Amino acid sequence: MQKKWLGLSLSLMLAAGIAGCGGNNNNKGAATEAPEAGTAAPAATAAAGGNTAASEPVQLKYWTDDRHDQEYIKELINKFNETNGENIQVELTVMSENYAQSVDIAFTSNQAPDLLRLKSGNTAEFVKKGYLAPIDGYLTDDMKTKFGSVIIDNVNRIDGKVYSLANTGLTLRLIYNKDLFAKAGIANPPVSLQEMVEDAKKITEAGKSEGVYGFALNFKSPKAAFDRSIREILSLSGYQGLGFDLKTGQFDFAPYSQTIEYFKQMYEDGSILPGAETLDIDPLRAQFAAGKIGMYLSFSTEPGVYQDQFPTEINWAGALAPTLDGQIKGTSEIVSAGTWLGISAKSAHQEAAWKFMQYMYGDDILKTYHEKGFGIAVVPSIVEQAKKPEINGMEGFLVGEHDSLWPAVPSVTPEGSTYADAFFKYILAGGDAKAITEDLNTRYNAALTKAVEKGEVTVTPDPAFDPLKPQGE
Amino acid sequence: MIYKWRRLGENSLFLAPSIILTLILGIYPLFWMLRYMFYDYAGYGEALFVGLDNFRRLLRDGLFWESVRNTFVFAGGKLLLTLPLSLLLAVILNGKLRGSNLLRGIYFMPTVISTAVISVVFYNIFNSYNGMVNTVLMKLHLVSQPIDWLGPKHAMLTVIIVAVWGAVGNYMLLFLAGLQSIPQDLYESAAIDGANAGRRFWNITLPMLAPVAQMVIMLAIIASLKGYESIMVITEGGPIGKTEVMYLYLYKLLFPVSTGSPVAQQLGYGSAVGFASALIVGAVTGLYFFFSRKMNKVY
Repeated sequence: MQKKWLGLSLSLMLAAGIAGCGGNNNNKGAATEAPEAGTAAPAATAAAGGNTAASEPVQLKYWTDDRHDQEYIKELINKFNETNGENIQVELTVMSENYAQSVDIAFTSNQAPDLLRLKSGNTAEFVKKGYLAPIDGYLTDDMKTKFGSVIIDNVNRIDGKVYSLANTGLTLRLIYNKDLFAKAGIANPPVSLQEMVEDAKKITEAGKSEGVYGFALNFKSPKAAFDRSIREILSLSGYQGLGFDLKTGQFDFAPYSQTIEYFKQMYEDGSILPGAETLDIDPLRAQFAAGKIGMYLSFSTEPGVYQDQFPTEINWAGALAPTLDGQIKGTSEIVSAGTWLGISAKSAHQEAAWKFMQYMYGDDILKTYHEKGFGIAVVPSIVEQAKKPEINGMEGFLVGEHDSLWPAVPSVTPEGSTYADAFFKYILAGGDAKAITEDLNTRYNAALTKAVEKGEVTVTPDPAFDPLKPQGE
Repeated sequence: MIYKWRRLGENSLFLAPSIILTLILGIYPLFWMLRYMFYDYAGYGEALFVGLDNFRRLLRDGLFWESVRNTFVFAGGKLLLTLPLSLLLAVILNGKLRGSNLLRGIYFMPTVISTAVISVVFYNIFNSYNGMVNTVLMKLHLVSQPIDWLGPKHAMLTVIIVAVWGAVGNYMLLFLAGLQSIPQDLYESAAIDGANAGRRFWNITLPMLAPVAQMVIMLAIIASLKGYESIMVITEGGPIGKTEVMYLYLYKLLFPVSTGSPVAQQLGYGSAVGFASALIVGAVTGLYFFFSRKMNKVY
C-alpha cells in the first residue's frame, strides 16, 4: 500500500512540475493589465516603458508577414535593443503563411504580440475585432504634420481614430524577361491585353522546347493571383480592381469578366506554364529566376526577392501593366499603403511599443527602407529626401504619374465561391461568363447589403469619382 | 467496503485529468458549436440569432455538396487501394520472411512522419514543371509531354496516391496484429489435411481476421472521410475545387486562408457545416456497422 501512495505522490509532483513549466507566459492576463488604449497621454500610461529600466527588461513581440525585408528589420531591431536605454527588448517573428489567421489564434488564446505589421487590407478587420490600440494620444505635432496628408479614412484612420502611420506602398507592375522577349522578336512589353496574349503565345512558341512559357501566375490561390494582376490592369483601365464600383457603391464584376477573357485565351493557347493551376508564388519566382517564364504581374517587392531570395542572372524589368484596350484611363493603385506598424490593444506594454514604433518611423529608417528597395516611400517628406533605390529592376516600380492611392473598398464575404474562384473556374472549365458575372454581382451585393445593415461597413457612392484622380486632388 | 471506496477514490484521481481535459476540449466545444449553428457569427462582435438560416443555406450551397461528392470519391479511392494493399503486405510480412521486421518498419514509417512534411515532398514530386515523376517518365520515354498531375484532371488521383502511401503502413500493422492472433495449429491441421496456401487464406485467415478487419475498415472509413490535411498542403482543394473535400471546406470556413485581404470567419455557418459533415460520417459508419455486423460473429 505504501508503494501505491508513493507512486501517487510522485505522479502528482510530476504533474505539478509539468503544469509549472507551461505557465510562464509573458502575455498572461495582458488584457486586464493593459492601460487604456493609446488615446491617453503618454505620461499617464508610463506603466511599461520607462520605469522598468533598472529591473527586468520589457519584452515586446513584433509579428510581421513581410519576408522580403526581414534582414534589414532584424538589424534595426538589434540596434534598438542595444540603444533604447530603457531596457526594451523587441523580438521579431516573421510569419510565412496565413498571417491573419495566426493573429486571430494569438488574440483568441491571449498570446497576442505587442506590435503587429498592418496592411491596408487587414487594419479595418483587426480594429473591428478589437486587436488594435489607437495611437492618436501618442502623436506629436511633428508627426501629425509629417504623416497628415497620407492618413486615409478606413485605411489607417477608422471611426475617427488613427491606428497606424504610412511608410511605403506597393506598386504593381508587369514583370518580364527581356531576353525571352528579344528571342521571340518582341521589342516592348505589351500595353494592351490583346498584345499580352499575343506576346505570351510568341514567347511560348519560341521557347516551349526548352520548357519556356509566356505567362504564369500563382493560381494555387486564385485570389492571390488575381489580386496581384487583374487588380492592376483594371485600375489602370479606369475601374476599381476588386470588382467594386466606387461611383455606384455596388459591386460590378463586368469589367473584371472582360479581363478574364484574355487570361482564358492565354490558357487555351497553352501560353501559361503547365502546372500553374497549383503553383505558389515562390516556386513561380524560382521558375522566373531560372528563365522559364516570359512575364507575370506582381508587386514592387519582386526586385528585393530577386536580390535576396532568388538571385538571378536573367535580364528582367518591371513595366506598367497592360490595360483593357491599350488606353490608360485610370491610375495604377498603390496597394497596401497607409499603414505599417500597429500596437496591440491587449499589450501590457503599449508605452514601450510606441517607443519602438516611434523609432521605426524615424526619417533615416523610412528613407533607407525606400532606398534599399523594400517598398516605395509614400510619405511626402521622405519622398523628397530619399535617393532612388539602388536595386536591380526597381526603376520600373517607382511611383510615377500613373500611380496613386485609391479609396478603400468594403471587404465582404459572400455566400458561395469568391470572384477569384468563380473566374478561375471559368478560365479552366469554361461556362457562361455573363451568368457568372451576374451571379457574382448578386451574391456580393447581397453580402454588402447585409454588412451595411449590420453596421460592419459603410458605403458612400461617389458618382463624380474620377479614376485618374482617385483621391480627388 | 472501505477498500472499495478507497479503490474508487484512487481510480477517480487518476482518471480526473483525462475526464477534465475531455470535458473542456471535447465536450464543451461540441455544445459551443451546436449553439452557434443557429447564429450568424464571425468570431468577434455580436452573434446574431438567425434560426435555421444556416441550414437553408447549407441545402443550396453547391460548394458544400460538391465537397461531399469529392469526399466520397477520395475516401472510396483511398479505401479501395489501401485495404487490399495493407492486407497483402500484412500477410506477406506475417510469413517467415528474411528481414520482415525491417520491412515492417519501412512500411510503417510514413505513419510517423508529419503529414505536412510528406505533402510538401509529394507536391514537389508531382508538380508538372519540374517534378520528379514527370522527369523520370520523360527520361524513360514513357510520356512525351509532362503530365499535369496536380491539374484539374489528375489532382484527385494524385492526392489519393499520397493518402494511400501514408496509410498503408498503419493498416498493415493493425492487420498484422490480427493475423498474429490466429492460432497456428489451425494452419497446421489444414496443411495436414492438404489445404494449399490459397485455400488456407480463404478458409482460415480471412474468416478468422473478420472481427479485426471490421474494426480496421471502420477506422479506415472514418479517417478517409475526415482526411484533408495532405490535400490542404498539396492542392488547397483546387484546382477549381476538384479536390475540395468536406472537412477542408469546413476548415476554410472556420479558418479562412488569408491572401493579404482577410476573409471573415464564418463560425455560425461553419458550425452548421461541421454538424452536417459529422452526420454524414456518422451515417456512413452506422450503415457500415449494420452491413458488416456478421463479420463480428464469424470467429
